[in-house]
Amino acid sequence: MTVSTLLVVLVVQRAAAGASEDQWPMPAKDYAATRYSALAQITVGNAKGLRAVWSFSTGVLAGHEGQPLVVHQTMYVVTPYPNVLYAFDLSQEGYPLKWKYRPNVDPAAIGMACCDVVNRGAFFANDRIVYNLLDGHTVAIAAATGREIWNTKVADVRQGETTPMAPFVVGDRVIVGTAGGEYGVRGWVKGLDLATGRVVWTAYNAGPDAEILARPETFRPFYDKGSGLGQTTWPPDGWKHGGAPVWGWLSYDAALDLFYYGTGNPAPYNADQRLGDNKWATSVLARRPGDGTLVWAYQFTPADNWDYDAVQEMILAELTVRGRRRRVLVHFDKNGFAYTIDRATGEVLVAQPYVTVNWAKRVDLTTGRPEVDSTKLTGASRGSVQDICPTLEGGKNQQPAAYSPRTGLFYVPTNNMCMDYHTTPVTYLAGTPFIGLNAPYKPGPGGNLGAVIAWDAGLGKKVWEIKEKYPVWSGALATAGGVVFYGTLDGWFKAVDAKTGSGLWKFKVGSGVVGNPITFTGADGKQYVAVYAGLGGDWALLAGDVRSDDPADVRPPASFMPDLARHTSLGGIVWLFAL
Amino acid sequence: MAIRAVAAAPLIALLVTAGQQAIPPAVRYEQHVFAGGAAPLAGTLENPFKGDRRSVADGEKLFSAFNCDGCHSLGATGGQGPSLADGRWRYGGADGAIFHSIYYGRPRGMPAFGGVLPPDAIWKLVTYLQGLEPAADLSTTSW
Repeated sequence: MTVSTLLVVLVVQRAAAGASEDQWPMPAKDYAATRYSALAQITVGNAKGLRAVWSFSTGVLAGHEGQPLVVHQTMYVVTPYPNVLYAFDLSQEGYPLKWKYRPNVDPAAIGMACCDVVNRGAFFANDRIVYNLLDGHTVAIAAATGREIWNTKVADVRQGETTPMAPFVVGDRVIVGTAGGEYGVRGWVKGLDLATGRVVWTAYNAGPDAEILARPETFRPFYDKGSGLGQTTWPPDGWKHGGAPVWGWLSYDAALDLFYYGTGNPAPYNADQRLGDNKWATSVLARRPGDGTLVWAYQFTPADNWDYDAVQEMILAELTVRGRRRRVLVHFDKNGFAYTIDRATGEVLVAQPYVTVNWAKRVDLTTGRPEVDSTKLTGASRGSVQDICPTLEGGKNQQPAAYSPRTGLFYVPTNNMCMDYHTTPVTYLAGTPFIGLNAPYKPGPGGNLGAVIAWDAGLGKKVWEIKEKYPVWSGALATAGGVVFYGTLDGWFKAVDAKTGSGLWKFKVGSGVVGNPITFTGADGKQYVAVYAGLGGDWALLAGDVRSDDPADVRPPASFMPDLARHTSLGGIVWLFAL
Repeated sequence: MAIRAVAAAPLIALLVTAGQQAIPPAVRYEQHVFAGGAAPLAGTLENPFKGDRRSVADGEKLFSAFNCDGCHSLGATGGQGPSLADGRWRYGGADGAIFHSIYYGRPRGMPAFGGVLPPDAIWKLVTYLQGLEPAADLSTTSW
């Protein structure tokens, strides 16, 4: 371990001071993005005795993706736009508010957020809550008082950039990225100074090597050779409005001093307009947090034809792969393949479909490239291409999986849908959508629109599956009590047996769940589980008539899912459960 | 300041004159409530292509060409932006109100297209949208 690595480790440990199994200080609980808790009071044996102990209306109706944080007996909740931050005192009866922070967020952002005005949460570091406002600002708020410490404009809403993701703090660096793959942005990540909010570095995901921070002496992708790939794999200037946004989850390996994130789709959807691999869209990138240096990158879906963003979490684990113990990252891509990748080098060790996939036959591990079925290629010149699986919602989308080192299994919320895909030529017009697509969905094999699966990432095999009627858009939580939690689009919050998938308990939470459960120890020493209810995200757009707050917006039912509105409507509620 | 020296009556006259000359004039949509029951002075805008079938077809093409469908979906049935096919209007469905929404944009995310689309093109979009027929059972959903 070098001195600088040691320093980073020390700083990281300090940043997460107070972090223990009793708390939940960052979106996925830990830097490995496991969403696993060692708390074990709630077990397979007693989970049927769970009950609701508290709830709170956030006053906001948009999709409540993301999750609360719990640190020092305080629970922090960020709402969708207008991004109110609540701090609840968990040490007092009824959990009253300590404070609330109401930022002044530009409503123009509403029109630049492709898929509802969601927010995916905050990060606790050095006694401050750091999170993104939808309109391209990152803020740091004093955890004790709710006072704004700094507020930095990182993105330009007028160019279609918005910031729904949760920031990720490593040492004194706050890492944020921009969404806007549907608006022709040029995707980036930035590193801000945690103390002041100053932007220290900016790294684009496409364009000249100097601007993607790929230096010949430090950038070593496992499969791709040569320089300038972020530019030469696009038509001239195509990368300037080529998307590759960042709106998902990050992870960090302290020993390697690398953080990992995925990039979204290349823009526009019409592949005829951007011939080439379009690097580094639909890829995983490994960078140094200190200065943003790109160390390796791997593209899951070269020349993406299907809007297969790769922003899903990269979960860090140590697994046995073909008899060898490996330090890996595990990624469930929108494209339907689950990847187990050596996280030091970017070598793909396992790539197997975890949902129904027909756009590619397999992934060639010697080249890292998928073997694409040419009849599923799209582009305006090909008209409407029929029956592609999975849909552009992905085998999985933003809904994060969990990993239990106790069972060695990954718990993955999934979608089971196929689509037709018809793109049209589209003109870039700043501040308007850069899409050009008609893609009707249909249920996948079996008719159930979603499932939760348990996945062995060493073998690349499904261990069990729970079929769900609707796409499972909530994250998963795994616990040492052997219980896995998740929510459903029709508003059930469920506990199941991590070993078998058998149902243990469920409760109807008032609106569809698209957020991610967390667990913590309360002031009374009891284990609690928290989750948001609040239908939205892509389903605010696609589920048909699920809103009731706007008399001037009434919609027909979704053709592939005509009855979701029978079970749920928009809402925004924080729930707490305990034995 | 000079304005203090100006008597009230001439000032009002000045504003009224300016209002009459403004293009496009201030919009009046049906949900407006008028203070004192009196509508502010303004002109009205009328769609020169109202009911013209060719303009409906042109408007439908423009709806895709200028990325309107990216938010409101094909057929304007609603996506990230509200449905424009349900016969209901946040900011009014009169000719001038829809024109105004497109020309100047609206604060909750609707971009202003007045800088890139000539008035005739906007009127064709208005014609297309006004021609969309809402379902007969629009207000009722049953299973």
